[in-house]
This record gives sequence, structure tokens and C-alpha cells, in this order.
Amino acid sequence: MGAFLIKDIMLLLRDRSELLILLAMPFLLIAILGFSLRGIFSGDLEALEMDIALVSQGDEAQAVASLQNEIEEMGLPPGETQALKQAAESASPQTMLVSLLEDESLSELVTIERMSRAEAQESLDEETVDAVITLPQGFTEDSLRNMLFGESKSGELELLVADLSSPQTDVLKSILNEFVRTVNFEASISRLSGQQSATEVFGGIETITARQPITSFQYYTIGMAVMFVLFVGSTIAGQANLEQKQMVFDRIRLSNRPPLLYLSSKAIAAAAIVSVQLTLLFGLSALLFQAFAADSWAFWSGIAIISIVLALSVGCLAALMVAITLRLESDAVPAIFSGGVISLMAFVGGSFMPLDGMPEMLRAIGNWTPNGAALSAYFSWLLEPELGQLTGPLLRIAVVAVIFLLLALAIFPRKGGAA
Amino acid sequence: MLETQQLTKKFKDTIAVDDVSLVLRQGESVGLLGPNGAGKSTAIAMISTLMKPSSGDVKLNGKSVLKKPGEMRRVLGVVPQKIALYEELSAYENLKFFGRLYGLSGNELEQRIDYVLELVGLADRKKELVKNYSGGMQRRVNLAAAMMHEPEVLIMDEPTVGIDPQSRNHLLETIRKLNQDEGMTVLYTSHYMEEVEKLCDRVYIMDHGKVIAEGTKEELKAILSDQETVLIDFDQNYPELFTKLSEIEGVQQATAEEHSLKLIIPKGTRLLAALFHEAERYGAQVVNVNVQTPTLEDVFLRLTGRKLRD
Ligand SMILES: Nc1ncnc2c1ncn2[C@@H]1O[C@H](COP(=O)(O)OP(=O)(O)OP(=O)(O)O)[C@@H](O)[C@H]1O
Ligand SMILES: [Mg+2]
Repeated sequence: MGAFLIKDIMLLLRDRSELLILLAMPFLLIAILGFSLRGIFSGDLEALEMDIALVSQGDEAQAVASLQNEIEEMGLPPGETQALKQAAESASPQTMLVSLLEDESLSELVTIERMSRAEAQESLDEETVDAVITLPQGFTEDSLRNMLFGESKSGELELLVADLSSPQTDVLKSILNEFVRTVNFEASISRLSGQQSATEVFGGIETITARQPITSFQYYTIGMAVMFVLFVGSTIAGQANLEQKQMVFDRIRLSNRPPLLYLSSKAIAAAAIVSVQLTLLFGLSALLFQAFAADSWAFWSGIAIISIVLALSVGCLAALMVAITLRLESDAVPAIFSGGVISLMAFVGGSFMPLDGMPEMLRAIGNWTPNGAALSAYFSWLLEPELGQLTGPLLRIAVVAVIFLLLALAIFPRKGGAA
Repeated sequence: MLETQQLTKKFKDTIAVDDVSLVLRQGESVGLLGPNGAGKSTAIAMISTLMKPSSGDVKLNGKSVLKKPGEMRRVLGVVPQKIALYEELSAYENLKFFGRLYGLSGNELEQRIDYVLELVGLADRKKELVKNYSGGMQRRVNLAAAMMHEPEVLIMDEPTVGIDPQSRNHLLETIRKLNQDEGMTVLYTSHYMEEVEKLCDRVYIMDHGKVIAEGTKEELKAILSDQETVLIDFDQNYPELFTKLSEIEGVQQATAEEHSLKLIIPKGTRLLAALFHEAERYGAQVVNVNVQTPTLEDVFLRLTGRKLRD
């Protein structure tokens, strides 16, 4: 077994064009796609810097004061009156919006400047600001009312942007949506604040935490990695074909080693190559593009688990391709696979772009490709490092791998006898 | 120790090997001679357990190897017609790989590699990649690889095709040594008569999948014992004269080659008078007349009416 493995690895190391395809190409693509498509992924923060003008048309202090007066006149017990007045002051939506935009995670991206409506419009025209957020007359009061008394009319924000289709706009919109959601959420909490069940509701906050977004470098590191590991299948099957053509395969048969040893060493060689490939791609991407936080042991161990499962499945795929190649005595299989099937699999697996908008059917197929399933495993780990999330995709990979392996065993020409 | 019984291989539209029965005795050196497409390689593939016969059997020490090829594979060293080596690896790396397949390792492996490299005279160039070797050197490594597991029988399929005279002599000398000094049993396939004549005790001649003659060199030549070969050199080519001469009564075989003509005639045929008479008529000058005992080439020619190589 060792002899086979060493030989296969040596052959690969001497084959410069294969090495280029397996290692240099994906890395190049990660670099190109990662840089050029920076900004289409919500996590690409640095590309999203923006200057925002904040226009407040109402008088917030006055709105709060008049609301507090109203509370006074409602004739509630003194304790509750006090609590509501407190809430009205601290839950001021404008303050909340500003603190949201100036939040640690956004502060590097967003600069806010308060302006009058006219100033803001001018700056937008001159493109010194990217967007104008306007809190119209009555916004504060409306939202506070909504918050405190559950009155139906909620405040409406106005967003003016220079470029409607820019990624910045998308991000800003999603931030504002988040804000509106928060305001509504705060509203329900404020309303409940006097009651016993408050803590229970607080328990729900966690489910609302926004997910960490994915950057283009993360996306393409994973996309290209799961795509290019497939090429290992072609490489290994190509080697087997060459061995058959050059008749070294006959020599191997003459050595009377169990034929399955040959097949399994091909599978293991493929898995080993894939492991190296993934280590290099993730490692380089983390080091050169800062695509991943390089220091989290827990994070990397999850990536390693997914990678190992993926590597083993490619091993099974390689075994299947080797079996077919030897049976057909032709290199058609590796050629067709690397010439088209891989691109197809990469596409339905979501290596090139997210499949969100694609037909259900396509996504279902993609989910069952080893690369597609691995991709979703990586992403879900990236978004939420929870082992439970991985079982689904990893199980799919395993099922497909076992099918590959069984097919390989069925097809492999067992030339133990004088076949 | 090794024999085939009515070995036959049919492909879709050809019978590549047809009812071939060979015997290889311990320590013998046997030649398998035949022109292109005679079925030599196919026969060897079946003997070496790489191909299933359509019918017939291959036996090693009386036991069929078809069901259990293990023992045969251990005993056999096969040198295929093609270079069966990893081109991207060096000779040393190739031999190491094949040696390890046979379970060799460590010192034993290194010593064996040194031995076979010495045998084929490539010890000093073992680190070079096989693809950078000359054709002759590749052939030598091809032999070395078959020798890694100390086989008792060496089967060679045209091991000297397309190589320079120096490598060829080296190879032939190596094989001769293995056979005569180390008692290795050899089955040597070729379409070069000289090689077989030089190396082999016994010869099988194949054509169109069939064995058409067998025996020691002497026995085979005895087929022509009542005949002799006359080689006549002229000063130039005379096609019409050559035709005329080949029609002389008693001539059994005539082959023209540029300035010379080879005739196989029954012993005692009175050829010379007629020869000079005709030469005179065509104004041709006879440079040399040589009466030879027949070669295996002549035997083949006589048996098939064709030359071994075209
Ligand atoms: N796999 C195959 N399928 C079909 N026909 C084959 C196959 N292998 C060999 N043949 C045919 O069988 C015949 C014998 O071929 P073989 O290679 O055994 O001849 P050979 O004596 O080794 O010739 P050469 O001197 O050219 O090596 C040829 O007519 C060849 O075309
Ligand atoms: Mg041949």
C-alpha cells in the first residue's frame, strides 16, 4: 500500500500541469473573484464605506416632553408612570438609530453627519454623501407611541441614496430594516416591561442576533476549494489510464498484489491530495487575504472535520472513476469529467454564485453533490459554528460517497484470475 | 516445467493464437519466432496469466495456472514488448516500486536494485528519468524490472525492437549469461533470426497464430538438409534476368535483393551452367557465387513462402 501511495504522489509531484490545475488555478481564481466581486457579499465591509447624512425634521426633545406630559395625565399608579416616562426618554428612536449606525461593527464603515434637509440634498447631489436618512416630522412621536402604547401608526423612515443599485444601498437598507425590527421589538418589550413575563421575552433576543455575513474571499475560497478537489478524481483516473496504457498496470497485476489494494490506494492517494489541497487553499487564503480568522482553534477544527469528510468522499469518487476508466480501457471518463462535469457540478453546487435565486430542483441536486453539500457545510459553520448544523450536509456527502464506493467495487475489473 | 496445451485465442474477427502447444524445460532457452501479427504477444499474454485463453490450457509443473495464477506470477519474469515503466520516475524509483510490490524492502531491496542495474549496465545512470533514456536504455530497465523478484523463468517479447546495436548486444549478452551461467529458463520472442540463432537451443516458428515448425536449430535446418542456398551477386540489378533464373528447373525459392539473388535449390541441382549461360545472354556480370547451408530465415522462407521481415 505504501509503495502505491508513494508512487502516486511522486507521479503527481512530477506532473507540473496537474499541479497547476490542482493548486495554482483555484488560488488564482480565489484572488481574482475575491477581489473583483468584493462588495456583492454583505460581509465585504471594507468595500462598503459610506457617508451618511442624518436629517431630523422634528424636535425630538419636544416630542419626548409632550409624550411624558400625556403619560402624567393618564392617571396611572405612580410607579408605572415613572417607568413609562423613563422608557420614553431612553427609547428615543433617533438615539437608537445613531447608536446602531455608530455601533462598533459599523463605525469603521459609516460616518454620520447631522444636516438640515437642504444641506443633505446638496451633499447628495455633490456626492459628498452616499445616502440621506431622514426622520420626518412626527417620527419620534409616532414610534414612541407605537412603542409605549402599541398604537398602530409606526414611524416611517425615509432613505435617499445616490445610487440605488450599489451594494452599499443594499447594506444600508438591511441595516435600516434591522433597525425597524429592533424598534418594533423594543416596543414589545417596553410594553411588557411592567409585567412578570419580561424575562421570558428577553430570552428571545438571542434568536434575533444578526448572522455574521460572508465575504467574497470566504465565499470563493470555499467555492473554488470544493470545486477543485473534484479535479483530483480526474487526475487519479488519468494516472490509472496511463498505467494501463503504458502496461505498468500489467506489471502490477503480475506482482500478484490483491487488485483491491490498487484501487484503495488510489482512493487514499486522492483523499490525501485533497487534504493537502484544502489545507493550502484555506491556509493561504487566511494568510494572504485574511479571509478567515487565523487564530480560532475551534473554528479551524470544524473546517478540518468538513474537509476530512470531503476528502474521503473525493477518494470514493476517484475510486469510481478509476474503476470505470480501467474497465473501459480509455481516458474518456477523466477527460469528460474535467472537461465539463466538474464545471456543471460546481455550478449547481454554488461554487460560482449563491443559488438563492435558482430553481428548487437545481438547488436540490446541488445539495446532493459532494461539493455542494461541503459548501453548505462550510458556510453554515462559518455563520454559526455549531456541530449540529453540519450533520445534514455531512450525512449527504457520506451517503453519496458510499454509493460511489459500492459502484466502484462493482465495476472495478477484479483481475485476480487470468482475466 | 512450463507448457501450453492447444492454446487458442479468438478475437472478434481474428484467431490470434490457434492451437499452440509449447513446452519449456528447466534451464532451456527457447525461441519463439514469427513475423508481425503472428500471435506471439498474444500467446505470451496468455502464458503470463494476463489474458484468458479462448480455449486450451497453460500449465506450470503440471498444474493449470488459469484458476490460480499466483504461483506462475511468482516464477515468471515478463519483459513486455512495450516499455512498461513509469516515464516520470527514474530507473531507480521504478525498480524500487516494483521491488516493493514483491515485498522487498530495506537492504534487501537496495541490494536487488543494485544487482539488476549492474546486470543491465545502468548502475551509473539510475537517477535519470526513464523518459530521458534512449530507447535502448529503456529496454534495459524494462528487463531489469522483470528481474526484481528473482524469477526462475524469463519471458521476453521482442526485447530488442528499435534499439541501437550496442544496447542490443549488451542485452543479448545479458540474457545469454542469465541462461547459461545462472540456469534461468528463457522464452525469447523475436522476429530477428540472428538473435534466436545465437541465443536459443530450441525454436518454435509461428505464423498466422499457428506453430508451423519446431525443434532444435539443427532439426529445423534439417528441413532444408537436402537443399542448399545459393547467393549470387551481380554487378547491378537485372530484373528480367532474375525472373528468368528463378524459373530454372529445380529452383524452389528465389529472393531478389538489389544486386543479388538468393536461390534455394535441391542439392545436386546443376545450376551453374545455366546461370552463366543466362548471365551471358543478358550481358550481366557475376561478381560472386556463394553456396550456403540454410539459416532459420531460409527455413521460414521455405515454410511460408514469405520473409520474416518485410
Ligand atoms: N486485443 C486485441 N483485439 C483484437 N485483435 C487483436 C488484439 N490483440 C492482438 N490482436 C490481433 O491478433 C493478431 C496477433 O497479434 P500479436 O500482437 O499477438 O502478434 P505478434 O506476433 O506479437 O506481432 P508483433 O511482432 O507485431 O508484435 C494480430 O492480427 C492482431 O491484430
Ligand atoms: Mg508482439
